[in-house]
Amino acid sequence: MDPNHELELEDLELFQRNVSDRFADLLDHPGDGGLLSISWLRKLVDAFLCCEAEFKAVLIMGREPTQLTKPPLDRLMPELLDRAVKALDICNAVSAGVESVRHCQRLAEITVAALENQNPIGDGQVKRARKALGALVASLEEKDHGGSHYKTPERSWSFGRRGATAAVKDRPTATFRSLSMIVGKNWSAAKQIHAMWANLVAPRGAELNGLALPVYIMNVVMVFVMWALVAAVPCQDRVGLPLHIQIPRQFAWAHSLNGLQEKIGEEWKKKEKKGSAGLLEEMQKMEKLSQGLIEFADGFQFPVEEEGKLEEVAAQVKEMAEVCRRMDEGLVPLQQQIRDVFHQAVRSRSEMMELLEHAGKISQPMM
Amino acid sequence: MEIVNRFSRLASSLNEFRSDPDHAHLVNRIGSIHQRAMSYLEDEFGFLLQEHTNQQPVQEPDSAGKSSSAKAAETGEEGSPLPESQSKPEEEKESPYPGYSEETVTNLSNIASQMIAGGYESECCQVYMIVRRHALDETLIQSGFEKISIDDVQKMAWENLEREIPIMTSIIKECASVHFPKEHKLVHSVFSNYPSLSISLFSNLSRGILIQFLNFAEGVAMSKRSTEKLFKFLDMYETLRGLYPEESESELKTEATTVKGRIGEAAINIFSDLEHSIKNDHGKTPVPGGAVHPLTRYTMNYLKYAFEYKSTLENVFRDHSKIERADSTSRPRFEGDSNQAGGGGDQDNNQSPFAGQLARIMDFLDQNLESKSQLYRDVSLCCIFMMNNGRYILQKIKSSPEIHCVMGDPWCRRKSSDLRNYHKGYQRETWSKLLGCLAQEGVQVHGKVSKTVLKERFKNFNIMFDEIHRTQSQWVVSDEQLQSELRVSIAAVVIPAYRAFLGRFSQYFTPGRQYEKYVKYQAEDIENCVEELFEGNASSIARRR
Repeated sequence: MDPNHELELEDLELFQRNVSDRFADLLDHPGDGGLLSISWLRKLVDAFLCCEAEFKAVLIMGREPTQLTKPPLDRLMPELLDRAVKALDICNAVSAGVESVRHCQRLAEITVAALENQNPIGDGQVKRARKALGALVASLEEKDHGGSHYKTPERSWSFGRRGATAAVKDRPTATFRSLSMIVGKNWSAAKQIHAMWANLVAPRGAELNGLALPVYIMNVVMVFVMWALVAAVPCQDRVGLPLHIQIPRQFAWAHSLNGLQEKIGEEWKKKEKKGSAGLLEEMQKMEKLSQGLIEFADGFQFPVEEEGKLEEVAAQVKEMAEVCRRMDEGLVPLQQQIRDVFHQAVRSRSEMMELLEHAGKISQPMM
Repeated sequence: MEIVNRFSRLASSLNEFRSDPDHAHLVNRIGSIHQRAMSYLEDEFGFLLQEHTNQQPVQEPDSAGKSSSAKAAETGEEGSPLPESQSKPEEEKESPYPGYSEETVTNLSNIASQMIAGGYESECCQVYMIVRRHALDETLIQSGFEKISIDDVQKMAWENLEREIPIMTSIIKECASVHFPKEHKLVHSVFSNYPSLSISLFSNLSRGILIQFLNFAEGVAMSKRSTEKLFKFLDMYETLRGLYPEESESELKTEATTVKGRIGEAAINIFSDLEHSIKNDHGKTPVPGGAVHPLTRYTMNYLKYAFEYKSTLENVFRDHSKIERADSTSRPRFEGDSNQAGGGGDQDNNQSPFAGQLARIMDFLDQNLESKSQLYRDVSLCCIFMMNNGRYILQKIKSSPEIHCVMGDPWCRRKSSDLRNYHKGYQRETWSKLLGCLAQEGVQVHGKVSKTVLKERFKNFNIMFDEIHRTQSQWVVSDEQLQSELRVSIAAVVIPAYRAFLGRFSQYFTPGRQYEKYVKYQAEDIENCVEELFEGNASSIARRR
């Protein structure tokens, strides 16, 4: 075997192994927050950036560009680049989703500020917390933005003046919907994932020896990461997110990916309901805690006598504070990472297109 | 807004009592009132902020609200109507605020201060962000803003995207020049005592809008290149260049710079594609009649349009040119590289990258035309073709001072001299043999005029001239000045020679049949025929201009 070819095979194997290792790490060591927590998502996005960079190296370094235009790559490359475009929109949708999570964070922080370290807890604090919690729950409930048609962000809220004598919790609360939440008319995250997954066919037979395999791997990684992000973070139209994006078992590197996919799929079935706020671990916690605190607030009468009750509430508030802290620490860096993915994808795509164009010129005979 | 002030003072004095732990119920009561006051303020804040969207000025009479409001402070109940700040629509036009009166803004500012002092900064900011964001969104939508995914941008037909781009660029320009300054002023006025808060609020608002435009620009930059897209790309480039969001994070400036760079590079590639399409134009069909080739027309007209964007193109080339990787024959040159084809020592060493690219395009056009001229078997037609095209190019360049300036006088002089050479070449090819027939030497043999030679001469002249007339009347010279120059130069040489020859030797023919057989043309006839040269036949006339 000629030394160049041997080196190539080594590179391909290394690439496969790295992919396998990274996702095994994500599966087996999900970290502090657990699966689908902010820190886990950050690890996931990081893994994607690394895989992508390695993939590009495998594809481009020391290769004749004309290799990229021979079958089956002549079909696979344009498909990959098309998936990359869809991934860009998903990045933007997820980024906007993270922004709305930050909005929830701020509401939760108000709640925490109102109830934390208050000795004793008074009516004022509880009412303040209740108002914020009401807005928070309303926000969580209408997370699934849009869907079939894009409407102007209607005034589904208003700040009632002295006329509105309704009780605090019935007053319509301002929502966070804005233009930036929409990626485009009729755009649907679920449909895009579906489209990305469709036509993704594993290479067989002789194709396994060439570049078709790393291209397939990169495709799979891309779709998986986008899928996981959409499952975790609220964005435009996640209804109908496909759950069966399984990779054929014969591929060893796919083992952890499949494992993760199963786990996330289960979470989706268990916890996702219409209009839910996404599987993000911290959001799920926040939702649960909110329900608990709302119950407390609604049943509140000054002063609170039972010790147990006080302790319970204090514990919930502490947990809420911890969730907020995690969000505060991790959301902005996560957004930055997603933006990095966006830019890296744009750059890689344009580099690959240039390469393909150049290869096309070389192989095109002059008339 | 005395009521608000009263509330505020009440709230502030209440604050002092809060930390007293011995009077639990009293403290609780006070806390409850405080919350209600803050809640009221929050609603009032939101309501005032929303006021801008009301088209009709709402006017309510002053009511006896003062006493009932004082009671409201204690019981937390919403009391009777309060005097409203009136929004005056006509003020909106001159107002530095996006639809608020000075009075409203002052009130907002008071409320904000009280809320923040009362520990309700978060609520205050939330309300502000939500209302202003919605307001900005509505403004955008009214201006025709439409959200298009990057995927859709790639799939859009160019004619649709072409319509969308100017809408987007004008919206973002409006934002930068009108809406953002107003927002800036508003936020700094409302939160006048809290500058860092103002900065972060404004930053969030403007970022939300700008990032949408930047994403759109990215989508456009990624789209398939084609020459007609150049000008819209340059429009976007200019828009991005002019965007300097006040007080926005440096991250946003970096984003804007990045996408501006991508558009710039795409524009360069599109422009350079012109070079490639010229090089690869290997059409084997010669243009009938040696007329101006469509490639020449297309290229020159394209350049003429391109020069309306001259300064943008200069900027783009200066900032975003890079050495292309593998294709060495189309390397964009850097400043200082004076190895220009055909330029030699004339070229200014400080030629800009754009000028360099332009020079290369012209060079390739010349080369291409030269090879196309070889498709004509007739050397004369070859010269006419080169003259036509050269003339067209030169005229277009001279008609635009900017292009003329960039190409430079030396280039123009060289082009003119090339044209003169082709002219001479043409004359030689077509007319020298003909003139040979009219040479006075050789007619006499042994001192006597040989009638045989004469007959031969006239016969040949007639045949040749007929042929020339027949063929070259169908050739096209569309530039009127060139056409007349050619005719004049032909006439100036041929007619006197013919006249002289005729004058000297026509007498040797017996008048009548012999004369008429050999002397087909009088001088005026020749003149008329020359005037018919380069008229072009029906199909080549249709192609003129």
